[in-house]
Amino acid sequence: MIKVDKNLCLGCFSCSNVCPNQNIVREETEDKRSIHWKKCKEECDLCVEFCPGKALSLVPFDPACEEPTLTFDLVACKICGARYATEPMLRRIEASLPRELQKDSTGLAWIWVCPVCRRKIEAERATKQMVLGRSRANP
Amino acid sequence: MPVYVDISRCIGCRSCEVACKRVHGGKGHVNVHMAGDRASVPIFCHHCEEATCTMACFSGALYKDGERTAFAVEKCTGCGLCRLACPFGVVWTDKLAHKCDLCQGRETPTCVVTCPANALSTDFEAASKRARTRAALVAAYGGRV
Repeated sequence: MIKVDKNLCLGCFSCSNVCPNQNIVREETEDKRSIHWKKCKEECDLCVEFCPGKALSLVPFDPACEEPTLTFDLVACKICGARYATEPMLRRIEASLPRELQKDSTGLAWIWVCPVCRRKIEAERATKQMVLGRSRANP
Repeated sequence: MPVYVDISRCIGCRSCEVACKRVHGGKGHVNVHMAGDRASVPIFCHHCEEATCTMACFSGALYKDGERTAFAVEKCTGCGLCRLACPFGVVWTDKLAHKCDLCQGRETPTCVVTCPANALSTDFEAASKRARTRAALVAAYGGRV
């Protein structure tokens, strides 16, 4: 049976993706996602092995035990407001990047912006650079 | 051998997007963004030297292979950390992750071959020479060239 440490779970769906028996059920709405771990008698430990947060462990089967469910609020993008990730995932990325990258002039504010807005920012930056290059000699 | 973009040549036809989708089974890794009426900018993987997606990937599916940021699909668990770790938003997760692989197995990436405006190239020397020539012309004659 799967035991979940709710303080370590990132809410990433990795376990649900690798489970060969559909024992880990995912549900996602516009602003929330939840994961439900069914009671499982399998000896398989794929979910434990492939959990990025090391939140899962296997414990002996106990029929009295309740099936765990975790629900995460999705974080809203700082620019467009679209809900795009769980907070523990973003915190983990913030922590996994090396110090010298964190000292960048823009800092790590981009982590709190959704991928769609990140692409738009990059397009705007490239455009500004090109327009600036054209107008430099002829202001 | 990353792909270099000359956005002043891009005509916004999205041929690169379509070509990329065609060779990657319907999942494209190029996004042409329209910056108002000033420019169109194809956005795709930069193959960063210090790739934050590879730092975030816990299963080793994303890794640096020379200049390329490579992806081993069989190791991916679809956790989505790489998608959130890319500063340019060019890694997608759609059950499993997918991103630009510079068309592994092809001589030249298909977006470069397809681009009708020659805005994309893999030749750093040519791309850089063109940019320098343009800058010199602007300095010499001023205005648009």
